[in-house]
Amino acid sequence: MAISFPSTEYFEALKGQMAAQPEKFRRLGFIDTTFGVRVGQNGKARNFVLEFEVFDLKNVREVDAIDLRRVDFAIEGDSRVWREMLENISRNGEADSLHDINTLAHFGEQLKIVYDDPDGHDKLYRFMESIQKFFDLSSKVEVSFS
Amino acid sequence: MAYLSTTNYLEDKNFVDKWLYTMRTGELDLSWMKASTEKIKPHEANARRGLTYRDLDLGSYGFTGVPEKVRTNRSYAPRGAEIPAGVPDSQPWVSRKSEVWAFNTESYYEEAVTRQWNVTTDIPWERLDGVELPETTGKALSQLMTFLTEVEMIATDTPAMWLPRLNPDFIEVKAFIAAQAMDEARHTEAFRKRALTTGWGLMQASPMNEMALKHLRDADSFSEMSVALHLVAEGNVLTLFRFSEYLSPTDVDKRIFRLVMQDEARHVGYGMQHFKYVLENFPEKREVLHAHLDEAENISFAGAAATELTEAFIILAGGGLKRENIEEGIKITTKFNLKQMEEHFERLEKCGMPERKERSKLFQMYQAGVAAAEAAGIKL
Amino acid sequence: MAFYADKDYTVDETVLEAANQVMAGNLGLHWYDAKTEKVKGKPSDPRRGLTYQDLDLGSYGYTQIPENLRTSQSMVARGSEKVGVLPDMGYVVNRKSDVWADNVTDLYEEDKARRWTPAIDVPWAELDAHPLPAPVEAACSQLYTFLQECSLVSLDFAARWVPLINQDFIEQKSWLCAQMLGWARLGEAFRKRALYGGAGLGRASNTAEQGLKEWLWADTFPHGSLSINLSLGGFVLAICRHVAAFAPSKADRVLHGFAMQDTARQTAYGLGQLRYFLSHRANELPATQSYVDFTEHVMLALLGSPELLEPLIIISGGGLEKEQVRSGRLAVSKFIPLVVSEYLERLEAAGMSGRRERSRIPSVIDQIQVAA
Ligand SMILES: [Fe+2]
Ligand SMILES: [Fe+2]
Repeated sequence: MAISFPSTEYFEALKGQMAAQPEKFRRLGFIDTTFGVRVGQNGKARNFVLEFEVFDLKNVREVDAIDLRRVDFAIEGDSRVWREMLENISRNGEADSLHDINTLAHFGEQLKIVYDDPDGHDKLYRFMESIQKFFDLSSKVEVSFS
Repeated sequence: MAYLSTTNYLEDKNFVDKWLYTMRTGELDLSWMKASTEKIKPHEANARRGLTYRDLDLGSYGFTGVPEKVRTNRSYAPRGAEIPAGVPDSQPWVSRKSEVWAFNTESYYEEAVTRQWNVTTDIPWERLDGVELPETTGKALSQLMTFLTEVEMIATDTPAMWLPRLNPDFIEVKAFIAAQAMDEARHTEAFRKRALTTGWGLMQASPMNEMALKHLRDADSFSEMSVALHLVAEGNVLTLFRFSEYLSPTDVDKRIFRLVMQDEARHVGYGMQHFKYVLENFPEKREVLHAHLDEAENISFAGAAATELTEAFIILAGGGLKRENIEEGIKITTKFNLKQMEEHFERLEKCGMPERKERSKLFQMYQAGVAAAEAAGIKL
Repeated sequence: MAFYADKDYTVDETVLEAANQVMAGNLGLHWYDAKTEKVKGKPSDPRRGLTYQDLDLGSYGYTQIPENLRTSQSMVARGSEKVGVLPDMGYVVNRKSDVWADNVTDLYEEDKARRWTPAIDVPWAELDAHPLPAPVEAACSQLYTFLQECSLVSLDFAARWVPLINQDFIEQKSWLCAQMLGWARLGEAFRKRALYGGAGLGRASNTAEQGLKEWLWADTFPHGSLSINLSLGGFVLAICRHVAAFAPSKADRVLHGFAMQDTARQTAYGLGQLRYFLSHRANELPATQSYVDFTEHVMLALLGSPELLEPLIIISGGGLEKEQVRSGRLAVSKFIPLVVSEYLERLEAAGMSGRRERSRIPSVIDQIQVAA
């Protein structure tokens, strides 16, 4: 059964995959950050807040809007870009270097990182390997795009 | 301001104009491409070990080729790079290889990187849940931990203080020293965390030991510091850790001591190799090191008066404060004291200083101690 | 010798007597009832283990460290009982706001949890399987030469201050030790990468080194930390992100993936420290503004040094062909303002309001962008 992206079910599925590989994420170290994911489509957007703690995704929820004061940062992008990234992941088992979050967000032209406090922004990079490996788990999930 | 760059780049029109020109025209100067540096192709000698510093020990980049007196680099440039005119002086105090070098330094560093452990997660702290040590051993353990926290603290300050004083060409030594500082921070953390989980907290400072420890930091040269820190003090501490592991009241303590021992053995390993190297390659230094060892051993004598440590050790070794406990504790502590001294002289001898025994008052004390122990029927 | 023990203990009868008494079974136990707080710390979250945060308890905790440390100058572990004559270690940093940051214990714990090993974690063989075109490899060797200079200065900075900072700030000093290992490791990774590619090292940068020495040798810890942790850390972080985004090889991508984590922690401490310093010492703001006025030219020295700029253009464009240089230039013309804007943003966020208007860097950067 394909899981549609974006949805809380999708992130829950990644959460399950993450929990199934504790050693991999333990090796990467603590991941203590809460961030937003915003997927835009036709002028509208769906927003999610992902709360990571220790080695796990603790909680994910869909929200009407992301309050930047309550997250470290948010990754925003058009559904087209997200889809391209996830399809790339599912083809390669992980994002290639043209499709990882760092590259897509580097100049803010594909994905964009928004934040209230630069300290929160820097957490993206402090935990980048874990965050990227989290999204790479998408290769283990059958995803459909609405 | 302690140092001002030779140029204020905000006011350097040539600098900014050149930059603008590059960005506007895309005409690159590329003079750096003609750097007169060596081209090499290193290989991983062992794929499982990965790419090590030893694999890079080639030509002008290698550590083998570093001359005894480093005359050509005093900047922040990495060894083997082309050094243009105008780089600043990083003001190293130590530019003589035999003052810092040790056979295997690069491997001690690589080992340190791969064998980093984490006090927070690698010690099974949860197993202390519900463990209540008897007051005597609990307090003795806390007192030992308090002392060890003091020891480990000087072991972070001392290498850190020397690191920026080393010539930048001694890359692998600087890296090893940096790793040591982290190892010692971790040891401080381990002992502090253990003291704060005994139920007794930290205990009492040890003035005599602190006086002794200050001597480690304030040496005149790196070699003297190293013989006092890496060889004498850490050698003693290594013996102490081995005994402490044996005496540990819980398996959590055993694990702590086993892990710190690994790190400490590495520091002692470096110290021994360096001592050997300096004696072989800088013979004039031998007398200086003897004189420094006289002081280091004087400090070992002073340590005998740090009864807050000896007593705690006796209680841990004997398992309590009853008469029979204390008798047993004294036996083990005697063995420990003698073992520490024996190993100290063994190390010095192995490194090429067998004559130390003739000169040393500590050795006389060791011999007297052995005789007394044997007379008291303590089997060594 | 700068320090001799206060007497010749080899002939001191009192010491011998004290030791003999104990070894005869007459224990004095003066330490047994130490006047210290009795605590039994516990992990608050078993997955995380026992952290320094878990031990932020009473007199042992870091929360209770006073702003001014007037009565501790020795090696005594914070919270233990001080007795007798303890040595003065000559610490010159004794004010909490000079070194503290609200995130410093987090960063120390995070650092240990997120360690890596350049020897084995970077897929070096990828560089054999897919060798880079000669100009790109040469550019890499130059870039990694430059990054080694930045690493050495950062390493020396942390090391330089550790022995000068009061021992009561144990968590912060431990974090600096973690930084020392972190920068030794980054220097190692950069050196290994440069040499493994086959092009050797490039040329040291006198422009960058002059500037870096000015930052490294700052008179005070807060100013030096601003320069080395916040400014240099943020700058190297941006390079890591940029090279990861334009990675010429898998080895470079992986290396910078780890390197960005390390440098981001450094930057986070720089921001956290400056924020703590200014929020506790508002009267230091003017002096700090003027320190930055005086030394921020170093940011230009770093960004504009040909030993960085040119290899970055080549790596970003993928080579030396006209078109490649053009696209490389375009990428670098976006990279430069990104570095500067994040740098100013961090200073503002730390409490240096008005920095953006006051700084002379943006006007130079505007010209660069126009030129590109
Ligand atoms: Fe240690
Ligand atoms: Fe050690």
